[in-house]
Amino acid sequence: MTRKKNRRQRVPLDRLTDALVDDILATPDADLLKEAQADADNGAAVARRAFERASRMTALRRLAASKRPPRGGRPVGANIRALDPKTARGWLDEFMASHPETASKLDDAPAAGDQLSDEDVYGMLEALQKRGVLKQRTIDQGRR
Amino acid sequence: MQARDSGALLLTELEVRRAISALPPADWLRLHKVARALCRNAYFDAEDLLQEAFQRALGGSRQCSRTVDIVHFLVGVMRSIASDWRKARKRRPEMSLVTHKGTLPEVVVQVRDQSPTADEWLAGIQEATCLKKAILDLFADDGVAQRMLEGIMDGIAGEELRSLTGLSQTQFASKRRLIRRRIDRAFPQEWKP
Repeated sequence: MTRKKNRRQRVPLDRLTDALVDDILATPDADLLKEAQADADNGAAVARRAFERASRMTALRRLAASKRPPRGGRPVGANIRALDPKTARGWLDEFMASHPETASKLDDAPAAGDQLSDEDVYGMLEALQKRGVLKQRTIDQGRR
Repeated sequence: MQARDSGALLLTELEVRRAISALPPADWLRLHKVARALCRNAYFDAEDLLQEAFQRALGGSRQCSRTVDIVHFLVGVMRSIASDWRKARKRRPEMSLVTHKGTLPEVVVQVRDQSPTADEWLAGIQEATCLKKAILDLFADDGVAQRMLEGIMDGIAGEELRSLTGLSQTQFASKRRLIRRRIDRAFPQEWKP
């Protein structure tokens, strides 16, 4: 009750503020510029400065958001060795099956028929990762 | 169908950025004047309000319809932010740490009751009354302006307000401008009696 009354005391001022804002919106450009000149008002520069700062902040936020990992886990680029060996082998097999020509170009690819050690599998996945050909995926399920 | 449902009805973030960047000097001035008017009643800085409004527009959390003038859109955003900030300021409780024996586990966070005390309530009424008087006193030489101001503060608007003053449309606009200019000079920052 008292809070309501307290708020009501400000209502006349709120109404006055609204009327002042309406007048600012209705004032022709030329008159506003004349007023600024008469009052040495640098409001336009202040508003531009606020816009530039807001632009920088928005750009920084976008950048931060783009660097943030997607929901559900880190991207594969984070650390390939966080995968458990079975998942890593599955990924490599999957990649070999779908990109035989790229896989064959890897410098450190073992000869066909070789039994790959876990280390080989991680090494190859890292090599693929380095070349940017490994599909973006998350490593949550396969974490060791 | 709501505007939000159709991308074609809304400006993209890039379009908003371009529209704001291309504003003429008078509109930058207009935005600043509006921010200052809104801040006078709310205890925060005009530049902060402007920056927050731009950020919300550029970040897409507030979207502008293609049919709305960008300045009117930004003014709407500022009005909404100012209202939120005022409410948040009122809600923010005063807190203090209280310890009786000086040991950490016994520290109590004391949150003050937010409802105004009788003294605060009276002080609020007095301040508002003083302020209203101070504003009206600015126009002691102009009975029409005083009538107009009283009408505005009583919630009268538009044609009803104009007929109360007995002014023509042009005279009414001039008087309203005179009121704004005088208030701007007398209260450059915030309402203080």
